[in-house]
Amino acid sequence: MVLTMQELKNVENTFTELLLRKIGPLVKSHTGTNFRSYDDKSNGVDLVTVLDKNIESIIKAELAGKYPNFKFIGEESYVEGVTKISNDPTFIVDPIDGTTNFIHGYPFSCTSLGLAEMGKPVVGAVFNPHLNQLFHASKGNGAFLNNQEIEVTERTLILQKSLIALEGGSERTEGSQGNFDKKIDTYRNLLSESGAFVHGFRSVGSAAMNICYVASGMLDAYWEGGCWAWDVCAGWCILEEAGGRMAGGNPKEWVIPLDGRCYLAIRGGCESMEQKQFAESFWSYVAGRLEY
Amino acid sequence: MTVDLASIEKFLCDLATEKVGPIIKSKSGTQQDYDLKTGSRRVDIVTAVDKQVEKLIWESAKAQYPNFRFIGEESYVKGETVITNDPTFIIDPIDGTTNFVHDFPFSCTSLGLTINKEPVVGVIYDPHINLLISASKGNGVRVNKKEFDYKSKLASMGPLTLNKSVVALQPGSAREGKNFKTKMATYEKLLSCDYGFVHGFRNLGSSAMTMAYIAMGYLDSYWDGGCYSWDVCAGWCILKEVGGRVVGANPGEWDIGVDNRSYLAVRGTVNNETDEQTKYITDFWSCVDGQLKYD
Repeated sequence: MVLTMQELKNVENTFTELLLRKIGPLVKSHTGTNFRSYDDKSNGVDLVTVLDKNIESIIKAELAGKYPNFKFIGEESYVEGVTKISNDPTFIVDPIDGTTNFIHGYPFSCTSLGLAEMGKPVVGAVFNPHLNQLFHASKGNGAFLNNQEIEVTERTLILQKSLIALEGGSERTEGSQGNFDKKIDTYRNLLSESGAFVHGFRSVGSAAMNICYVASGMLDAYWEGGCWAWDVCAGWCILEEAGGRMAGGNPKEWVIPLDGRCYLAIRGGCESMEQKQFAESFWSYVAGRLEY
Repeated sequence: MTVDLASIEKFLCDLATEKVGPIIKSKSGTQQDYDLKTGSRRVDIVTAVDKQVEKLIWESAKAQYPNFRFIGEESYVKGETVITNDPTFIIDPIDGTTNFVHDFPFSCTSLGLTINKEPVVGVIYDPHINLLISASKGNGVRVNKKEFDYKSKLASMGPLTLNKSVVALQPGSAREGKNFKTKMATYEKLLSCDYGFVHGFRNLGSSAMTMAYIAMGYLDSYWDGGCYSWDVCAGWCILKEVGGRVVGANPGEWDIGVDNRSYLAVRGTVNNETDEQTKYITDFWSCVDGQLKYD
């Protein structure tokens, strides 16, 4: 089964309607109000709320009503080692991306709804109800911000002139075994005058928002290790539809699976040769190999 | 000399939303042919629009308040420009210039006033997300011209503790030497589970917007070095009105001037618990690895 462009557009419309009507208002009204009610996950930094689970079940029910034959993978129902992305049409959903933001009321939590087919992202919608930014796309149909087509301004892409998204993440154990030291060393390499000397980095605390900002050209790139398919699926589709490219976080990973865990998102608005050179130049500053 | 601070706040709000904001919004992302400043500020970008906007603010302020002094980012002369006790507008026409050039939607205008070197009026406006936040001494804070109920907000946030906080960090434009080393080492300590183990850090790329976000209860603190008085003046006034506090970035710097160049800004606490705030500051300082120093 291969979905047609029109079928994909219908899924996109289903996503945006669900986000605007139901999910966005829910996320917005509860942000910053659940400070005391979280369960601690790894190291107490990755916080998950009861609401996260409720929202996922609402999304699942709504989508199953319309698309009963599609599979569903969500952050809250995922089982490590068991849940696999198959070739079937599969919704890949993060009910609240940026949970720390959500708990602290920092206005960058969002909902990320994606659809994958043959293991590739084909529909995506990301809604930040605090800033009222709805990014959406489907394969072959273009990418949009609040119904306006995203057109990234044509300009050269050079590492030293770039503004990139980097996050601290929740894994914070020092030592050569983990990824924390590699990330910090990479950040140092990217910023340092004797290194890449990039224009700057930004952290908004949400992978989905970072990818959408890259897609729309507000940021030039986003490098990350440790995210999951539901953090990137929707954004990835939006990125590609806006002319951007998704590669891996480690050197030479030109083609990666949805659940590759390490990513390098690069904006459009330039030649694909420039994107390639950017990735190679970026990878040369990655300190060690991220492993998950 | 008596000065009506509320009317100055209103004047600056109108200036920000009616005149400055529309220029910033329409020109964001259009200045690809920028100059790179020389020396240590090589990644700090100056645009023609920056200068144009500063001139506009200066002329408007002068017409209304002819006796006030004026310090702006673009007209500042190192070693010559000093802050006196006179009423002084301290302004950054476009804060977050890198954001402005890249069209990352967090460039803003930051308009402050000091009297006796103390920030007493502050107005910050980000036209991309249409956020206006303003305050004047003794008059509280307004968000998009509506009174901001900071007490309820603080009550919903819970206690202020380092390992439960979200901290704003910005490496800035100087990327070599001791200060850069101190910053990177401090970031690592703040994040590490063996030291500060903060919930997370955020980087918006605008000092003024960061301080506005602390005042609104979105962030808990902001640590930075290398900024100037115009980056922090407006935000400082706003933050103070909601019980926040600004101290130095280095341990023991409890009392600093607006032009200190390095800062730690911390949010307010429920019932104005100063002990909680003091403990937060000393815990934070214990993660500072080295010393930030600027000429």
